[in-house]
Amino acid sequence: MKRTNYQFKTSAITLIIITIIWAGKLFAQNDADSFTDDINGIKDQISGVDERLKTVENDVSSLKKIKFSGYIQAQWEHFENPSVYPANYFSVRRARLKATYEPVTGVAFVLQPDFTPGNLSLKDAYAQVNEPWLKTFSLWMGQFNRTDYEVEYSSSKREMPERSRIIRALYPGERALGFKLEASPQSVPLKVQIAMFNGNDFLTISDVDKKNDNPTNKDYDDFKDLMVRATYQFRLGHFGSLDFGAHGYFGAIKATSTDLLDSEYKLDKTVKIGDRINKQWYGLELQFYADVLGGMAIKGEYILGKQASVGASSSATQTITQSALANDTLFVTTTTTTTTTVYPGIVRDFSGYYVYLIKNIGKKNQFAMRWDVYDPNTKLGSSDIGLSDHKYDNGSESESSNTVIEDNTSTTTVTRSVLKNTLGSGTDDIKYGTLSFAWHHYFNENIRVTLAYEMPFNEKVDKNSNGVGNVTKSYTVNGIAGKLDYSEVFPQNVLTLRIQAKF
Amino acid sequence: MKSSTRLLQALSFVLIAVIGFAFMPGPKKITVKGSDTMVILSQKWAEAYMKNHPEVTIQVTGGGSGTGIAALINGATDICNSSRPMKRSEIEKIKERYNSTGIEIPCAKDGITIFLNQSNTRVSELTLDQLSGIFSGKIRNWKEVGGEDAEIRLYGRENSSGTYAFFKDEVVKADYAANCQTLPGTAAVVNAVKNDKNGIGYGGAAYATGVKHCKVKKDNEGKAYEPSAESIKTGEYPITRYLYMYTANRPTGEIKAFIDWTLGADGQALVTEMGYFPVK
Repeated sequence: MKRTNYQFKTSAITLIIITIIWAGKLFAQNDADSFTDDINGIKDQISGVDERLKTVENDVSSLKKIKFSGYIQAQWEHFENPSVYPANYFSVRRARLKATYEPVTGVAFVLQPDFTPGNLSLKDAYAQVNEPWLKTFSLWMGQFNRTDYEVEYSSSKREMPERSRIIRALYPGERALGFKLEASPQSVPLKVQIAMFNGNDFLTISDVDKKNDNPTNKDYDDFKDLMVRATYQFRLGHFGSLDFGAHGYFGAIKATSTDLLDSEYKLDKTVKIGDRINKQWYGLELQFYADVLGGMAIKGEYILGKQASVGASSSATQTITQSALANDTLFVTTTTTTTTTVYPGIVRDFSGYYVYLIKNIGKKNQFAMRWDVYDPNTKLGSSDIGLSDHKYDNGSESESSNTVIEDNTSTTTVTRSVLKNTLGSGTDDIKYGTLSFAWHHYFNENIRVTLAYEMPFNEKVDKNSNGVGNVTKSYTVNGIAGKLDYSEVFPQNVLTLRIQAKF
Repeated sequence: MKSSTRLLQALSFVLIAVIGFAFMPGPKKITVKGSDTMVILSQKWAEAYMKNHPEVTIQVTGGGSGTGIAALINGATDICNSSRPMKRSEIEKIKERYNSTGIEIPCAKDGITIFLNQSNTRVSELTLDQLSGIFSGKIRNWKEVGGEDAEIRLYGRENSSGTYAFFKDEVVKADYAANCQTLPGTAAVVNAVKNDKNGIGYGGAAYATGVKHCKVKKDNEGKAYEPSAESIKTGEYPITRYLYMYTANRPTGEIKAFIDWTLGADGQALVTEMGYFPVK
């Protein structure tokens, strides 16, 4: 019996142990299955997140290919020139938004409009391709800056509110349409630029009759202009650097008149309408940077050559002769007066230069001074301009014969004797020197405040027997007539207070 | 008063202001920004310097060499750390803003290390051409360089990093492969390779813990070297570079004192201690 009980107890205990083990295994199996399910669930979630992350990364990487930058220059200016009215005003000088799209490394598309009140203009629109092998050459095509130091130096960084007078005269609007090949080897601090442009970009041609023959900035003739520039940099250790270079401009514009004058208003030669009139100039540039109690720079450029202007004819002016207000509507009657002012083409010898002295004062302030000179006609001095000796001279051509001038709509025939009595040197030939000062304060990386004062000095022409300058210019401000007499340096100073926000 | 006298007075005022500002005492707070590769070294320098100069505060942040150089140009930092030399375009920006060419101070040397997972036993050395092929995506499988039949997974730095630019210019010599995962900082690259048996990454030697250092040789015939003080000093290790500090102008005051100290015996001892290589 005892044995039976013992056997029973042993069997029961064994059964219980087996049951416990089986149950344990069963539960363990359930736990493992559940754990595996959880892991798989988390894996699926991670895969989902990963997939979404890749989509976001793709989107972000596409967006990163587009970069926006720009700046706004708001300013107040005060003019001391009595012929300028209003004499002070607020304006938005520049409001640029530059978009750069780089679909792949080394290729960029740039679009930069300028928004100013009442005006939207296209500044930059070009494609730039950098070759990936030598990493030396880049090709640009579209509308971009001409290849000159001050032209390429951004307005947002420039130390004076406006570029030098000579640069503004030679490169109006700074940009031009064409292509450029730029070589900048990585191992040599040399840069060579060769560019070909339409050449007449942003020039107003035939301004006498207030019509612009060059309104679309497409091109005005079949002649293309070539620009070449090379610069080299000498590093002067921790002291600074000396950069120097040269550029040449080899261009042409079509003749629009049969008479072509030289700098002294003498008939140089007769040409056919559509013939090539060359304009060529050469420039030297230098930029010296020195770390003397903080950064300091002396920068300058000297340019000389021949500039061509095309002929223009008949001037039409509209004057309001009658106006009346009726039923809230202003009725205006105008009269058109046509005067036959005629200018044959002229090629003038010119020269000019600018020199900047810039000193950084601490990290936040900068002082700049510039002296720039532009002589649009080096053959005529102060004692020549406006004199009868330097009026139109028909040379060996007959005074009674005609010169033909063509503009965008018509052809005008003028007897040379008429030109002889009306055409001569004047304000376009007067040399200017301009002294400018500017103080910049950088509030932070985005905000710069500038206080600048520009003092232009006109060349003083001789006086006639009546004690009046040989060159004068009439104006009317608020109904009061006045006259600028170029035998004196008359006030033309400009005070500018500008705030620039850049991003 | 004559206008020439007024002009003279105005110029005198400007001259006095210029000299006055120039001799103003430098800041007691120095900001250092830039290379992620140099962050741990720069922080160590700052800690040690501030310990001996409690009146000076040095704030060190990373972000990458490109970010640091941009901050220097914008005036947002006093010193920029960079693991690559400044580009010509960046020097031009310094010129435009500060009318100086920037001051370059080589302060340490570094060998860019190739990180492999420790379980990758079959690959222990690569040539520069193989590395170029791997990181440009031409070589996609480990078996092409003597490893197992497995896809190579690439880890690298973001494009604001000097290490990214240096490695691209000196080794890859092409665009990085599209599947190269970019990570913020060398530490993140090391961590990614540590957890991926088919991974390969690059970065500063100072961060390389828990991963295998791949030996590198210039070509098939050459001898492969690991980045070490000796191989970097002799130039035998082929991916060697200087690490730089940049200032916009010649440093003065506390900034100069700090830079001089980093280049001195104490500063250079920390360079070695942190796993970089001294310039002297």
